Amino acid sequence: MSGAEEIEAAAARWRVRRDRGDWSEDDQRALTAWLNASTAHRVAWLRMEYGWRRSHRLAALRLPMPQSSIGETHDTRRACHRYATGVMALAATLVAVAVGTWIVWQDIGAVHHYETEIGGHRVVPLRDGSRLELNTDTRLSAEIDDRARTVWLDQGEAYFEVAHDASRPFVIHAGKHRIVVLGTRFSVRRSDHDLLEVAVADGRVRIDALDVAGTEAPAIAVRGEVAVAAAASTLVTPVSPERVDRELAWRRGVLIFDNTTLADAVREFNRYNRQQLMIDDTVAVARTRISGSFEAANVQAFVRLLHSAYGLRVEDRGDRIDIAG
Amino acid sequence: MVDVRLVDEWFMREVLPLEAALMRFLRNNGRGESDPADLRQELYVQLYEAARRGLPTCARAFAFRVARNLLINQLRRSRVVSMEAMADLETLNIAVTTITPEQEAAARNELRRLQAGLRCLPAKCREVVELRRIDGLSQTEVATRLGVCESTVEKQLAYGLRALTDFMLGGDGKIRRAPATLRKKAEAVRLQEEAVS
Repeated sequence: MSGAEEIEAAAARWRVRRDRGDWSEDDQRALTAWLNASTAHRVAWLRMEYGWRRSHRLAALRLPMPQSSIGETHDTRRACHRYATGVMALAATLVAVAVGTWIVWQDIGAVHHYETEIGGHRVVPLRDGSRLELNTDTRLSAEIDDRARTVWLDQGEAYFEVAHDASRPFVIHAGKHRIVVLGTRFSVRRSDHDLLEVAVADGRVRIDALDVAGTEAPAIAVRGEVAVAAAASTLVTPVSPERVDRELAWRRGVLIFDNTTLADAVREFNRYNRQQLMIDDTVAVARTRISGSFEAANVQAFVRLLHSAYGLRVEDRGDRIDIAG
Repeated sequence: MVDVRLVDEWFMREVLPLEAALMRFLRNNGRGESDPADLRQELYVQLYEAARRGLPTCARAFAFRVARNLLINQLRRSRVVSMEAMADLETLNIAVTTITPEQEAAARNELRRLQAGLRCLPAKCREVVELRRIDGLSQTEVATRLGVCESTVEKQLAYGLRALTDFMLGGDGKIRRAPATLRKKAEAVRLQEEAVS
């Protein structure tokens, strides 16, 4: 029907072909040539790339397969199915499953979505008496019913005060990890590169890594501990109560730095403010260590302090502020 | 010139999510003469090339501005120019509609949207997509499982990808097939690609 349709069909073919096991350097050269031949090719390709990436989510629907199927190899694409196992176990109690067919998710209607914008802070009371606080730039969903309590932390950081209920463990899914609690107070933060940080103010939490083949012992963190989880390994460290308090200071709108490098402090401020601070990570001044408490939303005050106390040069450029030595 | 990789990511992150709203804009304010896919391609090409010269600060405002100019130029090129139509376009309020509440809710639960899109696929295509994307089977494994050749699997996946992408970006998930003459041309192009690779 149109030139655009043909180009789109070609882009789709290319995208699908690229995922074959036998993609060679010659194939790559041909694809690059096709992409460079016209911007129309390139935008069509980007559209298909977008669709392909998003369709990866479908892996969450996978049913646990019996061991003896298809002679599978254990490559990383299969990693998703373990994540799905946890979700499926929960979902199975809520949705009817017809044997041999795919689950069709009915609109359960009980999943609630919550979001904060950059610099935002939101308190969410849950039906079971638990309480969530969402920090800056956070997205999560919660589903509480008679049989289960589940939260999906898609992005950002939240503080949880979970009402005690032994009959309904409170489960938080964050990337490839799952956190299970009975009743307790703690924060969970998802950072770049799939890093997860859990700071426990009270009680106990269990952290499972879900894409590990075999039985990896879950990590348990208790009051006064901070757990950092990356991929399959979780490091639990006992810390001072002050440290836990520092991790949770955002709840009061405050950022506390204790001998923190300027580069790290800048990164932290940037989570909470649209006006971004820019500092060259490679220069010595970025490694200057600073300490103190700051209002998370008051970038100007922070920057004024950097200038007056540390003699740093500061230039306000509207959507960003450049910091130099 | 901005690095192409940066523009690629910007395009996928900032522009594609606007597709539903942009298409509605083009449909509501255009003359209905051009094929929507052609118009969209023209718009995306202009957005991409402009971004190569410099990434805009606000993708939304930028995209709608370019879309409006596209319609204005289209009107100028057409034989019968209605002065009223031209005036209408030029005063068009660019702070245009956000996506509908339903679409916004659906977008938030992407998995649900994908499932809805899956349900719209023809049966055979859907089966292939499910084996590949849900089960994570390789293309070879899918072919073996269904007892078909790999090129069939590839064709079905390509079709499924187009339909799902279209659906996720706010369309109806239906792909119109090209008439015979264009299909022959496409076949020739494909054979050429194959000869190269």
